[in-house]
Amino acid sequence: MPSHGRPTEPDAIKRRTFLDMVLGVGFVSTALSFVYPLWRYLIPPAAAEPATNSVVAGKATAFKANSGTIVKFGSKPAIVVRTPDGEFRAFSAVCTHLDCTVQFKAETSQIWCACHNGLYDLGGSNISGPPPRPLERFTVNLRGEPGQEDVVVTRA
Amino acid sequence: MQPHVSRAFLSLALVLVAAAAWAEAQPPAAETGCLACHRDQPSAALATPARDFALTDVHRDRGFTCVDCHGGDPRATDKVAAKAPSTGFRGKPTGAAIIAVCARCHSDAALMRKYAPKQRIDQATEYATSVHGQQLAKGDTKVATCVSCHGAHGVRLVGDAQSPVYPLNVAATCTKCHADSERMKGYTRAGAALPTDQRVKYETSVHYRAMVDRNDLSAPTCNDCHGNHGAAPPGVDAIANVCGTCHSVFASKFALSTHSQIFDRGCVECHNNHDIAQPSDEMLGTAQGALCATCHSEGDNGHKAATSMRAGIDTLKTAIGHSEAELARVENDGIEMGAETLTLREANNHLTLARTEMHAFDPTIVESVLAEGMALTAKVDAAAEAGRREVSYRRTGLAISLAFIVLVVIALQMKIRTLENRS
Amino acid sequence: MTQQLYAWLDQRLDLSALQHFIAEKSVPVHKHRVWYYMGGITLFLVGVQVFTGILLLLYYRPSADEAFESVKFIVSQVEFGWLIRNIHSWSANLLIFMAFVHLFSTLFLRSYRKPRELTWVTGVLLLFVMMGFGFSGYLLPWNELAFFATKVGTGIAGAVPVVGDFTMRFLRGGDDVTGATLTRFYGLHVAILPAITTGILGVHLLLIQRQGMSVPPSVEKQEKSGATIPQMPFFPHYVLHDLMWWYVALGVLAALALFLPWEIGKKADAFAVVPPGIRPEWYFLAMFQVLKLLPAHIMGVEGEMLGVLGFGLAAMVLLFLPFLDRGAAEGRSSRLVTIGGVIALAYMLVFTIYGYLAA
Repeated sequence: MPSHGRPTEPDAIKRRTFLDMVLGVGFVSTALSFVYPLWRYLIPPAAAEPATNSVVAGKATAFKANSGTIVKFGSKPAIVVRTPDGEFRAFSAVCTHLDCTVQFKAETSQIWCACHNGLYDLGGSNISGPPPRPLERFTVNLRGEPGQEDVVVTRA
Repeated sequence: MQPHVSRAFLSLALVLVAAAAWAEAQPPAAETGCLACHRDQPSAALATPARDFALTDVHRDRGFTCVDCHGGDPRATDKVAAKAPSTGFRGKPTGAAIIAVCARCHSDAALMRKYAPKQRIDQATEYATSVHGQQLAKGDTKVATCVSCHGAHGVRLVGDAQSPVYPLNVAATCTKCHADSERMKGYTRAGAALPTDQRVKYETSVHYRAMVDRNDLSAPTCNDCHGNHGAAPPGVDAIANVCGTCHSVFASKFALSTHSQIFDRGCVECHNNHDIAQPSDEMLGTAQGALCATCHSEGDNGHKAATSMRAGIDTLKTAIGHSEAELARVENDGIEMGAETLTLREANNHLTLARTEMHAFDPTIVESVLAEGMALTAKVDAAAEAGRREVSYRRTGLAISLAFIVLVVIALQMKIRTLENRS
Repeated sequence: MTQQLYAWLDQRLDLSALQHFIAEKSVPVHKHRVWYYMGGITLFLVGVQVFTGILLLLYYRPSADEAFESVKFIVSQVEFGWLIRNIHSWSANLLIFMAFVHLFSTLFLRSYRKPRELTWVTGVLLLFVMMGFGFSGYLLPWNELAFFATKVGTGIAGAVPVVGDFTMRFLRGGDDVTGATLTRFYGLHVAILPAITTGILGVHLLLIQRQGMSVPPSVEKQEKSGATIPQMPFFPHYVLHDLMWWYVALGVLAALALFLPWEIGKKADAFAVVPPGIRPEWYFLAMFQVLKLLPAHIMGVEGEMLGVLGFGLAAMVLLFLPFLDRGAAEGRSSRLVTIGGVIALAYMLVFTIYGYLAA
């Protein structure tokens, strides 16, 4: 009785082809699920490297003269200041008094801390109020094509 | 070495040592004047000033000598002749004479301009307004004069770390008298005896710690609140102004409040004067250990305001703590949360601001600041939630891949079976 | 097209000889054949480690200032970085687990007997090298757990008499665990150990290809009494089986990454208080537990040193087992080896679990 044992030829071929198709689909989908992440991994991410010692604050043209912008640097805020003469400066935005985040005061071209009225000049020196020390100063460099430079802030 | 050579050598050495000792004993050829005799006096009272002046003195460095304060004739070798009245000899000045001696130069603008152009010349005038000056005028010689704080013969500049009036040393200098209960006996103010525990209290204070631990010489010591030469307690109505010279923001808020009209002693009511501790949220409110309940009782507006402000601050603190924990979890799972960490910093800043605004004792202002802070924590929580969803999404993707892998395993197993069946 | 390419290569590389070899190759079929695949799975996982490791080193930075941040960067900013990192961390553990499975199966099945002594020796050496990979790689994320585990681990290396201090300084790159240790471990992990592995693994695989699969003594006895051992063709049967097991391993990895994702932890701080419950990775835990339990002094000798020496002796016995159990070649397999193997397996299971519970 041929109900068990070897199946008839056409059925067997059909089953094998179906199985092969399933196998093929399985291989291809698993291969894709390996290749796609690999491809995306190799492409450099938006932030090229971990921002521990250096960070790109933005395009130079985005910073107006006599303005200050808060930027993330590592795990703490930094303030990128453009003096009225157009020069770039960068400091830690952590007030040396009680760690509040400072801001730029355009009316007096000073850096001001809202918490207890601390004032710093554009060199980062503490000139009035409770802050006991100047703001930590960072180095600013411009990098890239003239007209489209990046503002790069580096520690020390 | 031959015995007679070594003996000669030894004798020569002994002669040289003796000569040196003899030379030491004589006053140096160039040294004439007061030091010549006073330095070797057996009495310490006469010898010490001379020696101190010879070692380190800011006046001596600038060419002043004993004569400029004491008078006398330094060229005379005879004691009587050196101190004859005709020489202008004043001896040791005491009481008001000390002030006169110092002020003779230090209140002379033309003279001071030659040595220290920027130095003030009104110390004597100021001194006259001080408690010390007023007592001296009444004949009390126990009070401090110029030399009590500045010294007389080993005077150092104020910026010299060993000067008794260098900021770190001021408290010790003042309390040399003010902590001496014997000396302070009999002095009263507003009917009460003067305290003698100011230094002990001050050394527990946050100002002292700032000066000593963090080298912050701008932190106040006795003279910053009481004045230097015009030293006197500020007066109860001036306390907020005095504290406000540094703590300007708090003073301006306080001035807006009803408390500024009601408090007898301004800032001191809550913060004490000498033992100013690090303030904490526990001081605010009506719970056990809080200060507001000292005056306010259940039901009055102040009580309600205090309770609500404290509750608001505590709520924001808890919310920030919760958001921090959420952020940490999501970051640990692999989602970048740097911007949200900065936002949480801002929320903490609002907590600091709320504690400042509180000094106007108006709950509506504090509430609005706290509300901004709470909005920030809400933003952070939302971002953390989004982060958790991203983590879920990633893991769903992984689960789908896992499903496909399982499919392949099953298909392979079946394929193997068919191959084996065939053979 | 493929035919033409094949013909072109065949004329230059004699591929048809290779094809012949593969077509003729067969593998014995018997009730213990499932253990044949264990080595292949281990090899597959080595491949996964090399692949994911190379991907990781495109973004990783081996300095104390940047290592932790770079791992955080990989996991949070690089697309699918979390996946590559998770797979690398889990595959490391799975690899060592499979290596032990492979070791114990070949031990109990006496595969080390003549003529396969060198296969065994190279295999044991590979196990040591893999554990070296595990130890050096564990430090690289530069988080708290890794830092202190390395401190403890290298400290134990210092307990060896005579060469202990030198070994500890050599491993640490100094007296303490610092950035110097990190850089040194990185060099070990991505260059030195891979080079050594290539050599030893090459020999190991070559020997297997030359000698074919070992047949367990019980099955061999059947052959001696006349029966022939059935064979299965290497291609496609054995290869498909291998592939299936590799996919199973892949599935286990995916499941582990899904349900037990690897954490980033806290950045290492040399001056921080040692967090409670510091312990090495599980494959060192059994040894670590024993060392913790040994008394400070045993008969005047330092307990820890005796423990380390004891483990050294065990490693030597393991390495030279084929030469200690010569009887296996003649079918007189030593009962001692079976008992020893069971005790070793039991010890590892019990003490690893004990180590986890004690932490």
